[in-house]
Amino acid sequence: MSEEKPSFAQSLPPHIRSTDSLTKRSWGRTLALLPLLLAACLTGHAQILRVLLLCLVSAVAFEFLAKKLLRKKEELRNGETVLVAVLFSLLMPSRCPSELVILGVFLAVVMGKELFGGTGGYPLPPALMARAILQLSFPKVMAEPMLLAGDVSPWLVVAIGLGGILLLRQKKSYWETPVLFTAVCFICGDLWGGAEVPTAFLSGVLFTAFFLLADPVTLPLTRKGSALFVLGAAILSSTLDPHGFSIGAVVFAVLWMSLLTPWLDVWLKPVPFIFKRLIKATYP
Amino acid sequence: MSLKLPLGIRLERKKDASLLNWNLKRPYPPEKIRVPVPFNAEPCVRIGDKVVTGQKIAEANGTEGVSVHAGMCGTVEKVAEYPDPTGKQSLMIEIRRYGEPKPSAPWDLRKDWEQIPAEQLAGIFRNAGLVTTGPRSEPVHVKLARHAAARTLVINICAPEPYITCELVLAMSHPVEILRGAELLRKACHAEKVVFALEDSNRETAELIKSKIYFLKWTHAEVRTVPAIYPQGLENTLLQAWFSGEEDQALVFPASTAFAVYEAVALGKPFYERVVTVGGECVVEPRSLWLPLGISFHDAIRTCKGVMREPRKVLMGGPLAGTAQASQEVPLMASTNAVLALPQEIVTEAERSAEPCIRCNLCVDHCPAALSPAMITLAAEAKEFAIAREWDAAECFECGICAYVCPSKRPMLELIRAANHPAEKKVAHV
Repeated sequence: MSEEKPSFAQSLPPHIRSTDSLTKRSWGRTLALLPLLLAACLTGHAQILRVLLLCLVSAVAFEFLAKKLLRKKEELRNGETVLVAVLFSLLMPSRCPSELVILGVFLAVVMGKELFGGTGGYPLPPALMARAILQLSFPKVMAEPMLLAGDVSPWLVVAIGLGGILLLRQKKSYWETPVLFTAVCFICGDLWGGAEVPTAFLSGVLFTAFFLLADPVTLPLTRKGSALFVLGAAILSSTLDPHGFSIGAVVFAVLWMSLLTPWLDVWLKPVPFIFKRLIKATYP
Repeated sequence: MSLKLPLGIRLERKKDASLLNWNLKRPYPPEKIRVPVPFNAEPCVRIGDKVVTGQKIAEANGTEGVSVHAGMCGTVEKVAEYPDPTGKQSLMIEIRRYGEPKPSAPWDLRKDWEQIPAEQLAGIFRNAGLVTTGPRSEPVHVKLARHAAARTLVINICAPEPYITCELVLAMSHPVEILRGAELLRKACHAEKVVFALEDSNRETAELIKSKIYFLKWTHAEVRTVPAIYPQGLENTLLQAWFSGEEDQALVFPASTAFAVYEAVALGKPFYERVVTVGGECVVEPRSLWLPLGISFHDAIRTCKGVMREPRKVLMGGPLAGTAQASQEVPLMASTNAVLALPQEIVTEAERSAEPCIRCNLCVDHCPAALSPAMITLAAEAKEFAIAREWDAAECFECGICAYVCPSKRPMLELIRAANHPAEKKVAHV
C-alpha cells in the first residue's frame, strides 16, 4: 500500500508549454527571405550570391569566435546570426568589395549583437546598424546599386510579397505592421513625390515592412507602441531623403525609432485591470 | 458586459477522454484515508476508535471553523502531521478500513428542508463541514458572511483548464440538485439573482440547465456563457468580465459547492466526498468520480485502473495553475478538482533550456490582468525588484499564460514571485 514510489518531477506551474520557439521564429523568417533570393538569382542578380556566401561564412565564424572569447554558450543553432547575415547581404551593394562585407558583418554580429549580450539584448537592429556605419564611413562605395534600388524587376516585388505572405502565415508578428508601413509610405510618397522607379519604391517599402520591421527585439513591448514605432519609421523614411523613399533612409529611420523604443515602452505602459482590489474583496 | 475581446489563450482542451464515461460512480473504498484537519478544527476521535461514513471526526473551533467528517468506515489509526498537496505539513486523521465495506444507509430526505429559515442555514453549513470547492477553499458560511452585500450569486460550472471535467459532469448528472443548492445559497446570502456560468462549448449542458430553470418557473435565475478559453471562467475573471467595478456585489461558488449545500441541507449529509477528475495521458481510464476526502493520489489513480506508464509529473489541479507533487501519498483535499498523471512528452520540467527574452510581446498581449510580464521579469532578472513592482508585479494572479506562450521558455512565474517576495532572495544575495 504505502510502498515508496519514485519521486516525480517538481516545478512551478505551468506544466505545459506552447510549441513556439526562438529557433522556429528565426528560421521561419530566414525561410521567408528565400523567394527573394531565388528571384534575384533568376533575374540576373546572381552576384548577390557572392555577398550572401561571404556574409554567411564570416557571420558564423565571427559568432563562433565571439562566443569563445566571451566564454558563452554557442547558440548558432537558433538561427539568429544566419538571419542577420542574410538581411545584411540584401542591404549591401552587389559589387561591394569583400573586405567591406566582412567588416560590415563584424560590425553587425560582434559589435551590434554579441557585445550587447547576444540574442535579445541588442538595442538596435544589428544588420541596420552595420549598414548605417558603413554608409557613413564609405559613402562612395555604398552608393553603388544594390539589389532593391535602381531598375528593380517586378518579379522581385512578387517574391517579396510571397515572402511576406509566408511571414504573415506564421503569425509571429502583428499584421498591422506591414499594412500601416505600406499605407503611410504610399501617402507620403503621394504628398512628396515617390521614387522615380515605381518597382524600386514598391520593393523597398514591402521589404522594409515585412523584413526590416519584423525583429521584435528592438520593437516596443506593446501593440500600440509597435504601431507608433511603425508610423514613425514610415514618416521618417519618406522624409529623410530629399529624393523620397529609399533603403538608405529606411535604415536611419528604423535606427532612430529603435532609440526611442525605451521611451515608447514607458509611455505606453499597459494599465492593469483592478485584479488586486478584486482578490482582496474575495480573499482577504 | 464589456465589449472588449476576452483575453486568454485557446488551449487543447483534452476533456473528451474523461467525458466518455460520465456517469458518476463511487469506487470501492481504499485501504486507508488521511483526512486533513484544518487549523480551525479539533480532532474529536481517539486512536483505535471505530468510525462510520459521515461520522464527525473533528469539531469546529470558533465561529470560523468547520467540522470534519470521515469519508469511510474504519478505525482511527493515527492523528499526526503529514505533507499535504500544497507542500505544507498539516494535521491529518488516518483511518484504516475495517473489515468488508458495507453500503452506507441512504441519507433521508428532510421533509421541511425548503422551509428552513435563512438564519439557520449558516449553522447547518458549519456543522456539515461545508467548504468551498474552488482553488482556495474556505468555509462556506465564512464566505457568505463576508459577502453579505452581494446581490448576485454566480454558480460556476466552467473549467477552463485542460483535462478537468468534474463540475461539468456533476452539472450534467445532477442539474436539479445544483439548482436547489444554488437556491439555498441565494437564500443564505440574501442575493436577488442567480447566474449559472458555463463555457460556450458546453451548449447541451447550458440548455439542460435552462430547461430546468424554465420548469422550476424561476425568473431570478439565468444561464450565461463565457468563451471557452483559458483563463475565462476562473472566479476572478468571471467577476472581472461581468461585474467590473462592482465586484463586491457578486459572489461566486463552484457548482460542486452548490451540490454539497443541497445534500447538507436536504439530506443532512455532511461534506466528506467530492467529484474529482482523475485524468492525464498516463491514466488507463480517465474519468470524473466521487472520491472521499483524504484518499491518497495513488489510490485515486488506482480507482481509475492505475497508470499505463510511470508518469513524469503528478499534479493537483490543472496543467496551467496546478501544483506538481513529489509523491503520490498526499491526500485529496476539498480544493482538489483534479488529479492528473502526465507523461514526459507533455510536461515541461524545470527551465533548463531558457533563452533570453526577445520581447516578442506575446505575454503582454495575452496577459489577462493586462500587465507587462516581459518588463516585470526582465527587471526581476536584473534583480531590480523595485522596478518590477513599479510595473505592477503584485497584480499578477499567477494564471501561467505568460510562461505558456513564451517562445524562449523563460521561468516567468519564478521571476514574478521573486519580484513580489524578494525577501528570501535578498538574504542569499546580501
